[in-house]
Amino acid sequence: MSASEVSLYLDPQIRDWVLFPITLVMILVGILRHYVVILLQSTPQKLSRAALREQRALTRSQILRATSTKSLLPPSYYTSISRHLSQAFESGKYLKDGPPKPGDAPASPLNPMTDPAAMDGMMAGMKTQMVMMVPQMVIMGWINFFFQGFVLIKLPFPLTLGFKSMLQRGIETPEMDVRWVSSLSWYFLNFFGLNGLYRLILGGENAADSSRDMMATPFNTTAAAGPGQDFAKLFKAERDNLELAEGLYSWAGAGVEERVLRKYGKLPPQ
Amino acid sequence: MSTPDAPSYYQPNVQHNSALSVVKFYSSCFAGAVAGILGLQNWLGFALFMISTLFTSSCIYFINCRGKPAKYIPGGLTELVNPGQDNMFTFVLVWTLFYGIVHGKEW
Repeated sequence: MSASEVSLYLDPQIRDWVLFPITLVMILVGILRHYVVILLQSTPQKLSRAALREQRALTRSQILRATSTKSLLPPSYYTSISRHLSQAFESGKYLKDGPPKPGDAPASPLNPMTDPAAMDGMMAGMKTQMVMMVPQMVIMGWINFFFQGFVLIKLPFPLTLGFKSMLQRGIETPEMDVRWVSSLSWYFLNFFGLNGLYRLILGGENAADSSRDMMATPFNTTAAAGPGQDFAKLFKAERDNLELAEGLYSWAGAGVEERVLRKYGKLPPQ
Repeated sequence: MSTPDAPSYYQPNVQHNSALSVVKFYSSCFAGAVAGILGLQNWLGFALFMISTLFTSSCIYFINCRGKPAKYIPGGLTELVNPGQDNMFTFVLVWTLFYGIVHGKEW
């Protein structure tokens, strides 16, 4: 540790006028970003009654299926709901365009580029992406312009020499310990470390989280239950699932009288 | 007959468990501040973070979960102890900040 024993005297002004401002600006920009994203979010378009019914029928069957292994519904109710749904799925009663006629050709999957609703969703994703990326670049430019070329802070833990070129950019001292880092490294520490704070201030679903949007693409917004799905096929699959779930069905309340009596010792234990 | 063997969670209650992440955040923040003010370096600081994480989770384990974390938290014990990547970075940030502020004069 002989190299780190050599002490550097940093001006306290650096702390007051570089360290604190960078932190404060990053926190405030994160909060601003959150509210800008909220403002940019367009309200989802209203679905027509038929389209809503189509989706809700699917949801209803999924809810029924999810609890089927230990369902709270008695067998008579369960089977009647399940049969009713699978009949409706088979006949296509809940389809948006009504039951398919025998002569119809199967509809080709919609291209998301031609569907205006899907296009809107993609544009909204792109806008959000811009709001994410632009402040980061602006802050990085700001730091690079004003605070470059001097040591800002000493890290309390050692790093390997590989970090030297990244963390000490603009400081031409080849012998210096890697633990002395420039303001851009402080920016990166903030970048990764402030997410917890944003979550505390803005709630769990905030838009200020900066490291997450590296993974996100503007196109994944349409991947969820978008309008371009072929519900006829989904219904067919769901009908099979319902049949499967009916095989797995068991009633949570089966034999409940005996179980209760046995628990309180009114019947001899098995 | 089949009694419920797999624990079933009530979704709003599970969502309320986000209070847990707030506690973890505070814990890593204060651990970072303590490590920075004490001037801990290298692995000593990370050891303090480990100790604080274990202390926080054991408090939750015994006081809030009454020894049965799987009953309250879907992930069980691992979910309870795991501080999460965000909080680790928060710890490093606060540690560096306080180390820089407090021990800046001695450089």
